Amino acid sequence: MLALIYFIILGILAVGSALCVLLSRHPLYGALSLVLSMLSLAGIYGLLGSPFIGVVQVMVYAGAIMMLLTFVIMVLNGARDSKTPMFDGVSLFVIPGVIVLAALVGFVLVRTPMAFDETTLRGSVALTSRTLFDVAQTGPGYFILFEILGLLLLSSMAAAVLLAKKRLGSVDSDDKEEK
Amino acid sequence: MDIIESRTWIEWVITIAKFAFCFVPVLYILLLIPMERRGAGFMQDRQGPNRSYIKIPFFGKIRLLGYVQNMCDGTKLFFKEMFAPAGVNKILYYVAPAIPFAIVFLSPCVIPWFGPMVFEWGGQVVRIPGSIVDSEVGVLLLFGLSSLSAYGAVLAGWASKSKYSFLGALRTSSMTISYEVCLGLSMMGMLLLAGSFNLTDIVNWQEHHVWGIVAQPVAFFCFLIACIAETGRAPFDVAEGEPELVAGYHTEYGAMQFGLFYMGEYSHICINSFLVATLFLGGYSVPFVTTETMQAHMGGSLAVLCGVLAFFALAFLHLIYRYSRKLKATNLTNRFEILREYSLYKIVAWLAVAVFIAGGVCAWLYYDPSKFVVNGFAVGGLATAVGTALIHLLVLIAKSVFFCWVWIWVRWTLPRFRYDHVMHLGWKIILNIALINLVVTAVIAKLVGGN
Repeated sequence: MLALIYFIILGILAVGSALCVLLSRHPLYGALSLVLSMLSLAGIYGLLGSPFIGVVQVMVYAGAIMMLLTFVIMVLNGARDSKTPMFDGVSLFVIPGVIVLAALVGFVLVRTPMAFDETTLRGSVALTSRTLFDVAQTGPGYFILFEILGLLLLSSMAAAVLLAKKRLGSVDSDDKEEK
Repeated sequence: MDIIESRTWIEWVITIAKFAFCFVPVLYILLLIPMERRGAGFMQDRQGPNRSYIKIPFFGKIRLLGYVQNMCDGTKLFFKEMFAPAGVNKILYYVAPAIPFAIVFLSPCVIPWFGPMVFEWGGQVVRIPGSIVDSEVGVLLLFGLSSLSAYGAVLAGWASKSKYSFLGALRTSSMTISYEVCLGLSMMGMLLLAGSFNLTDIVNWQEHHVWGIVAQPVAFFCFLIACIAETGRAPFDVAEGEPELVAGYHTEYGAMQFGLFYMGEYSHICINSFLVATLFLGGYSVPFVTTETMQAHMGGSLAVLCGVLAFFALAFLHLIYRYSRKLKATNLTNRFEILREYSLYKIVAWLAVAVFIAGGVCAWLYYDPSKFVVNGFAVGGLATAVGTALIHLLVLIAKSVFFCWVWIWVRWTLPRFRYDHVMHLGWKIILNIALINLVVTAVIAKLVGGN
């Protein structure tokens, strides 16, 4: 009962702030709503019996990634961005897409039996690590995916560094520095 | 309500009473501000602020060793007008100072303040964990919360619509991100050895093996540096470097809004010093004595505790007597006034010495858990558990106060780093050392422990 009340509060917060991300004029408000949405998601993870995922959500998404995002938004020209019209030509395609997606997800959610069984939902630290890093031959083999993801992130970071390097070392920027 | 009946009433009382530990960081502000000011005076060979006084009958002007100055400062901040400059973003401007201060109340929930209290109550064994939230994610929760507290500075800088605040906020956010990484990585070696995120388990491991500072000396120094950087104090206070940015992200703030930032900073120091003490200095565990030994000889342990406290009171008395003797020989015009003030301290300290010695002797001679019976109900187990918790708490506080002093010591010793030097230190030196330390620890732990 108590868990259901918490779930409803957190769910409303998560969905409401996610809507705010779409509807807010200024990108900074959008980013802050996204932070709130992620925090309520973390609460829902904790409610589902996996506090580890919840805390990692707070640490990685709300703490690190959104902090980087706010950093970028603050460096951008905020005054001009707040004058961008909310709806333009692209919205003709985006809004129907969003509505169709929402309808699909809603349909799936309505069709699934929404049983909230506290005893079966467990995602402790030990369980998470055992599932992820089971190197036995008969195991699920998630650790290979984990390693590949690491490689992917590394390569994307290298690409980003290369792109930034090229911009800095180009003839254009060198000229500006000399002036 | 079966949720209430699932525990005995004594468990509920202690569980609810533990929420009082949320206020520890705020209480530490009262300790840290005078410590910082008089400490700065000590480092720079001057007196520090100690002239404000309260006048009471008979003893005259009482200055409480400079403590009254802080009460005056607090009162001034509290009654100042809250002022917002024109053009600020009103909502974010008022919300921003509250964020770091709200996190201060949440952070202490995972720190184990004492070892798990295990005692027998009415025929059943009761176990109460030492932290408010006894979760298996433990220290990760603390990191998640402390990474959120940087939003306060970032939003303050952005909402102020001032170039200085803005640059300060940018520097804060980039520095927080960089040093979070170092902080987490340098701690990982310790977590690997203990095999748990839960801080109670980590302290337990240290109690039965060695302290973290012995097992992981490199990680300890990386962690300490990253901790100091994360609180944003000198020598890492590039976010509010006075010669460059006036006061950084809180340039446009005044009154209690500035006070909230100020209190948030000091509470952050408190939390981080508790964290260092818990992770690397054995937390609540008493050096060279295990909890089991202490509980077996509870009377003696309490007597030793009282003896240590009496020693501190005597050391304070020694300082007072020595200084009054020196003062009598001078010809300062206000020396009799000061001596009259000191007579109050002497009375209080002598009373404390008498109480501590009497308490120690009583504990030594008469402590016997089997005799403690209230209305035919044995409470001896509870008495031993509470005594252990008290000793644990005082030991943890002593360790953390030492680290608070390290913070002040570092601040008034080292000059400020340049911004690019801070980034260089974080990303190119500490991060690499922490990474190598983690790999070496993992290999050695695998070879030696085989887990």
